[in-house]
Amino acid sequence: MNCEKCEALIGDLLDGALNSRDELTLNSHLEECLNCASVRTDLDSILSFCRANRGQYSALPNDKALWLRIRNVIEASNADEPSREAVARPKSFLSSWMSRSWELSLPQLSASLAAIVLVVSLVTFVGLRRWDRNGPVVNPTGVGLRATNLNDRVWQQQQVINYWNQRIELNKARWNPTMRETFDRNMKVIDEQVSQSLNDLNLNPHDEVSEQMLNEALNDKLSLLKEFSDL
Amino acid sequence: MSTSFLTRRHKHHRCLFSILAIIAVVSFSGTTGIRAQQRLSKRYPTGKNVRIELKNISGTITVESWNRDEIKLTATMESPSAHIVPRQIDQTLLVDVMADNRGRGDVGDVNFVLQVPVNSSVDLETRRGQINVSNIRATSVRAHVSSEGDIELSNITASQVIAQNTIGNIYFEGEFSRGGTYELKSNKGDITVRIPGDSAFRLIATSAKKISLGQFWNDRFKALSDGRRYIGDVGDGRSSVSVTTYSGTITFMRK
Repeated sequence: MNCEKCEALIGDLLDGALNSRDELTLNSHLEECLNCASVRTDLDSILSFCRANRGQYSALPNDKALWLRIRNVIEASNADEPSREAVARPKSFLSSWMSRSWELSLPQLSASLAAIVLVVSLVTFVGLRRWDRNGPVVNPTGVGLRATNLNDRVWQQQQVINYWNQRIELNKARWNPTMRETFDRNMKVIDEQVSQSLNDLNLNPHDEVSEQMLNEALNDKLSLLKEFSDL
Repeated sequence: MSTSFLTRRHKHHRCLFSILAIIAVVSFSGTTGIRAQQRLSKRYPTGKNVRIELKNISGTITVESWNRDEIKLTATMESPSAHIVPRQIDQTLLVDVMADNRGRGDVGDVNFVLQVPVNSSVDLETRRGQINVSNIRATSVRAHVSSEGDIELSNITASQVIAQNTIGNIYFEGEFSRGGTYELKSNKGDITVRIPGDSAFRLIATSAKKISLGQFWNDRFKALSDGRRYIGDVGDGRSSVSVTTYSGTITFMRK
């Protein structure tokens, strides 16, 4: 007899429900196995305690019938087990993989993260290469693309400038008239510079100097707004 | 017309005159109070190599060297409400008018004169007003005017010089150190550079108006964008110089 079977029968042994042959076999195992003997001792003491304190709770009207019902339920669930396994078997590899409980050691976790980073980097790199290769194919001259980028950049910068403009408008009332005039005059100079650079770029979209002037003018405008917003 | 009526009227006139006189006196004293300038003068003992960091809102900043191991700061404040608390940390003197007067409203012009040891690095900022720096031999000189104000840097020897304004002229007179960087930029103003004839530097000069390199011109200069930008080396190009003005002229002169 093995320990598993023995533990299953210990309850029946203590209840006196075993036949003589099973009782003999079980007792001979309990003499040899200290673990199972310990289980029997524990269960015996629990049952003794329950018997000793029986009067302290209301006795069940028909405990034999109750135990019978419980046993039936357990047997019925055991009978359903193979059919449930049969239902679970067709589960896909992915779902079984996902439902699996993952317990990773630190090196395993690090290795997994490194692998993810590597894969993402590779995908990004390949994607960018493809993007670069395809870009000029879509627009061989690149002028439209460049103009779009430029307009996008100006638009983005303009959004930031609008934010700082709002802040300036809130604070402007506190400035003295000289400071207000100075600010307006300087802003006008930069705005003229922006529009001049945009005009130059419309005439010659490849002019790097005009492009740089435009960028710097927009940056200067932003700096001026930021610096005056502190006042 | 009865005598009592005349007497009463006379009394009324006297009373009105007194009130007007009081108002006039109060107004006058108030005006003089606002117009009265305050002056702050302090001395700070230092070593030979110092650093000045000054952030002003409005007014002129003048920095000049003298033969003493100390800094003398003189500030003239247009408004009596202006508050200035210079701080000395080791060899650095910090003055931040903006921070010292936050929440105090308009503090008007504050004009600074700083006398410093000759080996002083200076970092000067103002929202508006002129900046003058003269006779300085330092690691770096920075003069930044957010809006308008001329910048004049005379007799400067520094390995890094940055001068920038939006409206106003920039004048640099000094020497370019080997390996140094020099950046002069104005949105609307003329820039003049006066340096020794044997100066060696790599130049990027950008102006929508006119670029005059004088005797520093040579065939190695390359013109870009219809002559709006010149790039080239003078001598062995050992220092890096960038001069930019969008609506002004650039002039290089021999010292």
